[in-house]
Amino acid sequence: MLPLHASTPKGKMHRTAYSNGQAAYPTLGGSGGTFSIQPHKFQPRSGPTSLRNRKLGKRLLALFAFCATVLFFVFPNLRPNLGPSPLSYLTSSDDSQLETVRYYDLNNVQGTARGWEREERILLCAPLRDAAPHLPMFFSHLKNLTYPHNLIDLAFLVGDSKDNTIQLLTDKLNELQADPEPKQQFGEISIMEKDFGQKVNQDVESRHGFAAQAGRRKSMAQARNWLLSAALRPTHSWVYWRDVDVETAPFTILEDLMRHNKDVIVPNVWRPLPDWLGGEQPYDLNSWQESETALALADTLDEDAVIVEGYAEYATWRPHLAYLRDPYGDPDMEMEIDGVGGVSILAKAKVFRSGVHFPAFSFEKHAETEGFGKMAKRMKFSVVGLPHYTIWHLYEPSVDDIRHMEEMEKERKAKEAEENAKKERMDKIKDQFDSKSSDWEKEKAEVQNMVQKAKDEAKQAEKPKEVEPKKEEPTKEEIHEARGAEEKKKPQPPK
Amino acid sequence: MPAPRSLRRQNPITFVLAGILCIGFFIFFFSSGDSSTAASGSEKSGIGKTASNVLSPPSLPFRKSKANEPAPAPPIVHYYMNNLTTSRNPVENQETVLILTPLARFYQEYWDNLLKLSYPHDLISLGFIIPKTKEGNAAYTALQAQVTKTQSGTKSKRFKSVTILRQDTESPLQSQSEAERHKMENQKARRAAMAKARNSLLFTTMGPTTSWVLWMDADIIEYPPNLIQDLAGYDVPIVAPNCYQRYYNTEKKANEIRPYDYNNWVDSPTAKELAAKMGKDDILLEGYAEMPTYRSLMAHMYDASADPGTKIKLDGVGGAVLLVKAEVHRDGAMFPAFPFYHLIETEGFAKMANRLNWESFGLPNYLVYHYNE
Repeated sequence: MLPLHASTPKGKMHRTAYSNGQAAYPTLGGSGGTFSIQPHKFQPRSGPTSLRNRKLGKRLLALFAFCATVLFFVFPNLRPNLGPSPLSYLTSSDDSQLETVRYYDLNNVQGTARGWEREERILLCAPLRDAAPHLPMFFSHLKNLTYPHNLIDLAFLVGDSKDNTIQLLTDKLNELQADPEPKQQFGEISIMEKDFGQKVNQDVESRHGFAAQAGRRKSMAQARNWLLSAALRPTHSWVYWRDVDVETAPFTILEDLMRHNKDVIVPNVWRPLPDWLGGEQPYDLNSWQESETALALADTLDEDAVIVEGYAEYATWRPHLAYLRDPYGDPDMEMEIDGVGGVSILAKAKVFRSGVHFPAFSFEKHAETEGFGKMAKRMKFSVVGLPHYTIWHLYEPSVDDIRHMEEMEKERKAKEAEENAKKERMDKIKDQFDSKSSDWEKEKAEVQNMVQKAKDEAKQAEKPKEVEPKKEEPTKEEIHEARGAEEKKKPQPPK
Repeated sequence: MPAPRSLRRQNPITFVLAGILCIGFFIFFFSSGDSSTAASGSEKSGIGKTASNVLSPPSLPFRKSKANEPAPAPPIVHYYMNNLTTSRNPVENQETVLILTPLARFYQEYWDNLLKLSYPHDLISLGFIIPKTKEGNAAYTALQAQVTKTQSGTKSKRFKSVTILRQDTESPLQSQSEAERHKMENQKARRAAMAKARNSLLFTTMGPTTSWVLWMDADIIEYPPNLIQDLAGYDVPIVAPNCYQRYYNTEKKANEIRPYDYNNWVDSPTAKELAAKMGKDDILLEGYAEMPTYRSLMAHMYDASADPGTKIKLDGVGGAVLLVKAEVHRDGAMFPAFPFYHLIETEGFAKMANRLNWESFGLPNYLVYHYNE
């Protein structure tokens, strides 16, 4: 056994080492000649010269690798950008995934009547200032828009806000984008924060006072221009301006306005009123047609003056879109206008691209949206209003209204108090007479009993005629003294 | 025996390679961690270096989403425009510059000069608008080749982003040749179309992070590499250097320079009178003998011996080279494509900026050179 054992390790070693093209296991028929483990039988693997060459090659390779690594990590600027190939993951860790060049053809974004079919993008702009109370309403409108949401880019400019507008806006937008349905998610969303240091208060009274108008309109215009110039992209075909305080608007408003295929288009803007103020009222008076009177007036004013519409100080006699509304009119009817109101403007992006903006200076004696209309007209764009297509602005009571409402409230309270007093008196009277009426009840019951008895007696005696006069007597007295009892008494006679 | 063989493999080269590989991996992980934190940090400050979605301002590069995963919802991006500065030291304050060029012909010298600008290229975005004409197509091809080359080249030369727009011209002139282009009757239509092209370019490429806008015509082929820093150093809303042209004077047999851009001027009473008599849609033009305005032209004020830093107030500017603070454009100052106070395009721009209380200045002794056809 031992010699056998001694021979096996040799064979095993052979197996683990080099096969050298020979079978590792001794074949059954193998002779000792072919299966030899003599060391001198091995061929040298390579000659000394080739070994040297290989070593040199290895060194060169190592040197090159070292240099490349140093260059690669120490001077990242020298890394080649191989584009989005799989190789680029090796060459540059992250800037290959960075796209720096963009190509656009502006002929594709001119805006057409059926933008939703051609996947035309809309930029929805909303300038905000202390707008937190209106945001929930605004976002419910956004969610309801029927235009494909992924084609709508949202841009907000929040300026000089003292409330939590930004926080609320961010929360609402996060909620909007978290929608699991990708079709419900909106496109690019940007919030620009920029304070212009406006002194004018945003409350209704100071906002609409005549003296504050020119300055206010100019700074509003500035805010709009900042928003637009930062948010307009080469991909936009349309721009939609929308105030956050719109209360009611059709969900299809974007398509409805777009269908007209005009360069600038606005709906009619009214607002609901409490019944005592007439139920409804034209709101946006900035959409109008130019009049001779106004042009003549404009010539008399100095360079920086701004004509504002809807104030007695400037009687312009212009036809206003708002006053031309017929609730039963054709909503598709169009009207050429010169000044536009800013509550809801749909304009082709090419209008803004060509340079039309909201003048923050007196442009042909107008500023902001009215100046925008004027400038669009000057550049031969079509500017149109829809007199019978109406959206409703939120009703915010003015100071006068509030005073009036307070008065009304007071009146109502006085009336209520009076009524209460009256009621109390009546109750008192009732209380006082209640005991009596119950007395009467008792007596009545007694009388009825008596009547019954008498009837019975009469029946028995067959003399019914004597009963009636007896019954009438107490009824008469009741009527005189307590009205309440009258009703109870009335059904009596048939008995 | 196996042991000697494994020993033979452990030669110094193996150790060195393994070491390099280890160091490499360490650096790789650390560097990638650094860059990601830097990106988020800059987003906080409002001057975002990159956008995470393709729907983003063209003045920012964006990170491509991987092809095989569904696109995430576009993010809500805050831009703190109150923090945006336009200062005397734009490099220190990391202010971004948008260089805008309406391109009709591509000159290699133009691109070479752009690459030589010493302002950090990762703060420079480029914007081009090219008409859809035969000439435009050629310029487009040439530009595209150069852009691809630069943007895939060394990182220090790469620009932050490049936007290339194409648009049909509204009044295609038959030829962009110099003589045809400068005929007086062609001027109004040509400059109106030019104004529209400039506005299209401006309002679509200006992002919420842009601090400065540098207008540079495609045929400006020579200027100092410090151009942006030099012009910004004046810290004025609008500043224009003097645009000259090199030519070979055949009479004197010498290379000389001559004034080229006449649209930088100070207004004159004569011009005002002329304007007062004009119809609403007429425009005043500069540099035509038929219409002497007697305005003081900056082109004629060059004095090689005078202080090179001299600055003068202007009423009309040309668009050859013009550095504008972005807030001027944001306020609404654009290039009127209609007669605005009888002025059009860049001259009208200066007037409109003036109406918005922004002043324009010129540098008579700071020269940039126009291509000589």
